[in-house]
Amino acid sequence: MLKRLLHKFFHFLRDMCHVWAREMRTTVKDEGLLIFFLLVPLAYPLLYSWIYNNEVVREVPVAVVDMSHNRSSREFCRLLDASPDTHVAYYCNNLAEARELVGRQEVRGVLYFPEKFQTQLYRGEQSHVGAYCDMSLILTYKAIYQAVQAVALQMNTDIRLEASTAVTTRDEQVSSRPLDFDEVPIFNTTGGYGNFILPAVLVLILQQTLLLAIGLSAGTAREQNRNRELVPVSRYHGGIFRIVLGKTFCYFMIHMVMAAYITLVVPRLFGFVSLVHAYDLAFFMLPFLLSCIFFGMTMSCLVRYRENVILLVVFTSVPLLFLSGVSWPQSNIPGAWQGVAWLFPSTFGVRGFVRMNSMEALLSDVRTEYVALWIQTIVYFLTTCLVYRRQMRLARRKAASDSQAA
Amino acid sequence: MHCIKQIYQIALRECGIIFHNPIYLTCMVFFPVIVTLFFTSLMNQGQPVEMPVGVVDLDNSHTTRQLVRTLDAFQTTRVVARYGSMTEARTAVQRNQIYAFLYIPQGTTAGLMNGTQPKISFYYSSTSLTAGALLYRDLKTISTLGSAAVGKNKLQAVGKTEREVRAALQPIVIDLHLINNPWGSYNLYLSNMLIPGCLMVFIFLITAYSLGTELKFGRNKAYMAMADRDIVVALCGKMLPQTLIFLIVVYGYMFYVFGVLNFPHPGGVVPVLLLGLLTVLAAQGFGIFIFGLIPSLRMSMSVCSLWAILSFSMVGTAFPVSAMSPALQLTANLFPLRHYYMVYQICIFNGFPLADAWLHLLGLVLFAALPLVVLKRLRMALLTYNYQS
Repeated sequence: MLKRLLHKFFHFLRDMCHVWAREMRTTVKDEGLLIFFLLVPLAYPLLYSWIYNNEVVREVPVAVVDMSHNRSSREFCRLLDASPDTHVAYYCNNLAEARELVGRQEVRGVLYFPEKFQTQLYRGEQSHVGAYCDMSLILTYKAIYQAVQAVALQMNTDIRLEASTAVTTRDEQVSSRPLDFDEVPIFNTTGGYGNFILPAVLVLILQQTLLLAIGLSAGTAREQNRNRELVPVSRYHGGIFRIVLGKTFCYFMIHMVMAAYITLVVPRLFGFVSLVHAYDLAFFMLPFLLSCIFFGMTMSCLVRYRENVILLVVFTSVPLLFLSGVSWPQSNIPGAWQGVAWLFPSTFGVRGFVRMNSMEALLSDVRTEYVALWIQTIVYFLTTCLVYRRQMRLARRKAASDSQAA
Repeated sequence: MHCIKQIYQIALRECGIIFHNPIYLTCMVFFPVIVTLFFTSLMNQGQPVEMPVGVVDLDNSHTTRQLVRTLDAFQTTRVVARYGSMTEARTAVQRNQIYAFLYIPQGTTAGLMNGTQPKISFYYSSTSLTAGALLYRDLKTISTLGSAAVGKNKLQAVGKTEREVRAALQPIVIDLHLINNPWGSYNLYLSNMLIPGCLMVFIFLITAYSLGTELKFGRNKAYMAMADRDIVVALCGKMLPQTLIFLIVVYGYMFYVFGVLNFPHPGGVVPVLLLGLLTVLAAQGFGIFIFGLIPSLRMSMSVCSLWAILSFSMVGTAFPVSAMSPALQLTANLFPLRHYYMVYQICIFNGFPLADAWLHLLGLVLFAALPLVVLKRLRMALLTYNYQS
């Protein structure tokens, strides 16, 4: 009894390793597959890091239309020019001239001081400064808006202090700001674009390259097969589990290395935030990679020709990035799309990794995502087995009818 | 006359292929419609509202509770939880339950009364940049308002009028004008780049796919024979039905966002129509060019997809091109989507004359003309190539 079981197990292992080795061999030989298994995971993260390496927008050009021409407006412009985010590039005589500069992309915003700017200030009235922002780029708008607000706040404080009757400096401080406050950027302290988007993009690259590579390899297998079947009829392809597990080992082996490179090496190369703990990361990546692999293997059965995979997978990258709740806050994704998001491993992979990487969350803090990934792993493993079973039956039936015909 | 008939014949053949293989209409019509509906419905709010924020109120007095209530009343913010300590609040941020929190230490109200300048703090996470930026604005406003309220009470007590109080507290006021997007809507900011970007992905890929499958299925020789081995006729015939379908899809998208959703387009209809046409032609031109350069189905499609995905970053909508390194600023011109976005924002969104975007219009025209460079190569490939799997 025991001997028979052992024998069976040995056969299982042998077949699985055979499928594994066979899959490895086709992968290494196929240049199309190598692009998505090696080149893209290796090169793309570097490219993205390079693109977003500057993190923030500095010295956004602004045009000034100063109709009042006096000390106060000039002081405002000086302060604005001195702030790190903005740069006073042009002085114009009227708004029409400034508008033309916006049209030519020379400036991103216009500051307008009306004629009575200083007069009103000295009269003790409220004085208005117009700030016109080009809204085609949100980051430049944000830079201008924040710089202008900061300058106005500082000048307001100065004006109030001049008018104050306080005796000591401390008195002045208290009267100008009775309630003090501190602004603390708790995570992503640079407020940088790279630190914000890169962790999400990295995880997404892992998933998309896996889906593409698995789909392409399935397509190739089908095209090389005589009957256009996914599973060849051979003595090693006798059971579902050995085929599915054998292939999984091959993909997992390659992408484990890629995942380590992408999640640990790339952020360090470019100096992006990386607060992740190796132990937690390893535990988290295991279900993520497995669910991606099984998801890809389930999908790969839909593919008739290898190139169709590219058509189906590539465009989903951007919608998936948005569904993960990084660009658009997770709390504000409409319910129906939340449901769609749950179908994809990247949703939970991105959410979990971003928090572990950028906020130093521990595995216990991303428990929801972690559990969801394991559920996905199990569900997609079952669906993979189901579709492979169907494929095997189809393949056998065809092979049988072929031999009868012969 | 003869060649028009040939083009017509080839176009008919192409229609047959398009309707026979479901992947074509899926990628040319179904997915673009899904993507359009996806992005416009996802960001339907325009700006994220009612984002979860926490409060650590150790003072718990009438004054601080009022501060928290005012914060809750802001459109962007919703106070969802109160925490007993900093650590709890920080953990809540790490668990994604809140994006920011306000910390009010014990003795804040007492400090305000006896004039010792107490200090409150707000903590915000920019891990989601949109949420971080918007909440930063609200939290900063509420913290400044805290001071203003004290100042207002004091000034009112000595008999100043409402107007005088306002002038004393805020002598300089910034009138902010968000040109053409006064709501600061992310929907009309991002959808106008993301959806055309996805449409371009499909045009790139379908163009390369339709040419490549001729080789793959060994139909290339029959195909060229229909055109009397004239590559220009062959290409025109093949691309014509695709161009028409893509034009309908692109114009359909534009009608939906500008006509139905009423996204601002002070530039008027002419630039919209022109840009739609140029977008389709430029993307097709790019697809043909890549296939002519690498006449292999999978390689050309791989290159097209890698290029198309990079466009979403190189377009410089979310992270401006001007902030990238100089080498990348030049490289950005190699992406059709970049030119699309520049023409869109200059001529349609901001309503400046087409002349202001002439360089980018020229860029799109050049992309549309790119196939001319590889005509010879493409002809060779289609005439002599034998597909080996």
